[in-house]
Amino acid sequence: MPEIIDVVEALLFASDTPVEASRIQEVLDLESPAVARELVETLRRRLDAEGRALQVMEVGGGFRLVTRPEIAPWLVKLARSRTRSRLSRPSLETLAIIGYRQPVSRPEVDAIRGVNSDAVLENLLERRMIRIAGRKESPGRPFLYETTREFLVAFGLRDLADLPKVEGELIVPELAETAAAQLTEPGPEHEETTAADDPAEQDPGSGGDRVTASS
Amino acid sequence: MSEQETTTQGAVQDSGITVRVESFVGPLDLLLHLCRTNEMDLSRLSLRAITDQYLAHLEAVRFQDLETAGSFMVMAATLIYLKSKLLLPANPDDPDELLDDEGELLKRELEERLREYARVKAFGTWLAEREAEQALIYGRTTAELPPPEDIPLEDLSVHLLQRAMQRLIEDQKRRVPRQVEPNPLSVLERMSEMVELLRSTWSLLFSSVAGPERIRAEWVVTLLALLELVRLGEARARQAELFGEIVIERNAVSVREPARVIEDTFEEAPPQSDPLPRGERDAEDLNA
Repeated sequence: MPEIIDVVEALLFASDTPVEASRIQEVLDLESPAVARELVETLRRRLDAEGRALQVMEVGGGFRLVTRPEIAPWLVKLARSRTRSRLSRPSLETLAIIGYRQPVSRPEVDAIRGVNSDAVLENLLERRMIRIAGRKESPGRPFLYETTREFLVAFGLRDLADLPKVEGELIVPELAETAAAQLTEPGPEHEETTAADDPAEQDPGSGGDRVTASS
Repeated sequence: MSEQETTTQGAVQDSGITVRVESFVGPLDLLLHLCRTNEMDLSRLSLRAITDQYLAHLEAVRFQDLETAGSFMVMAATLIYLKSKLLLPANPDDPDELLDDEGELLKRELEERLREYARVKAFGTWLAEREAEQALIYGRTTAELPPPEDIPLEDLSVHLLQRAMQRLIEDQKRRVPRQVEPNPLSVLERMSEMVELLRSTWSLLFSSVAGPERIRAEWVVTLLALLELVRLGEARARQAELFGEIVIERNAVSVREPARVIEDTFEEAPPQSDPLPRGERDAEDLNA
């Protein structure tokens, strides 16, 4: 019989989308999402301790098993031509606006950018960074756009609360650094402190009990 | 899909200093760049300096499409308007930058927009850094198609479908090599076409004569033809707004035969042998 922690590892390996704590709870028949989260943390520590090529990452409201950045050079070689095309500056700025103001309509995006954003929005829709959230009840009933889970995954964000606070013209460095540090030094101790620092961020998908407990 | 990026090469001469022109995404981007290089406080714009520099840069900017060009021009107009207010100070005793209430409001609005854009830009940069970091991490790629629950069928409209279809057709078109016809466009020909059209209708749109593809040669020739007709008193032209559509109308006063008009033109000005190549679409669908 495999250990339960091995099953968790297999779940993360097999899924093509981030696996939520609640989903692990469901599959493994656990008491609560918190227990599932504990198991993932154990797995994370194990992978880190063994210095494995894989690591657990919390993105888009779930967990993913991904390679460590140090492995990238070989993976690039393996994939040969497969280079991910980066988003252009207009696309990133548009995404920034939608990230903060969602759901937001095209006229609003245009007003902030000072130029027409039609083509950029279409590109972002195609890349599934955004999706249509409905229509605004204003003249012309324009579409409203919001960011997707793919957006969170692509930028390595746990949820929208991971977006940095912008004050004046500057990004408040503290938050941005935490997010970056989580990426570059996935030390087990560091991860633990991050998880303990903000209990409210646990499992935004479900786990309502935890959220209400902390607020 | 072409992003609305406006690229510029070249340099702008400004107060003796040569400034390399970067690529600007929009008018706010350019304005922000100018504020930064002048170390200007975004809540205290110096309109005099910024307007001159903005206009100087504008000459070097190459626009990708009419709409982007328009947004740069609107900003230029706003700046010039504000600057013109400064030339006639509300309070003549105070030579400092003094605006009337309307100008002050406009200026504050502009500053607020700039600050907002600066925030967006900062956040965009942050996202770019994250994206670069994430590019080093490999995981299972998500399925080619989004899960069915992510496709909101109720939001799919005929309009969207039509747009997708149109894009496909345009992509197909692009692959066909362009046919270059040897006949040069002629102003005279275009004039007689327009006279012909105006015989059966009272008014027509400039864009319908020049063709929807916005081929530069077509537009130039059509404009020259129109100006010539206006000069001869054969037509009148109205343009309600900046960059708006030009409506061409038959001049009711004119009693001359269209054929005569052309002959007259021949006598007055010999036909220009136009070196411009003939565009894809020609007059045949207009004559039809």
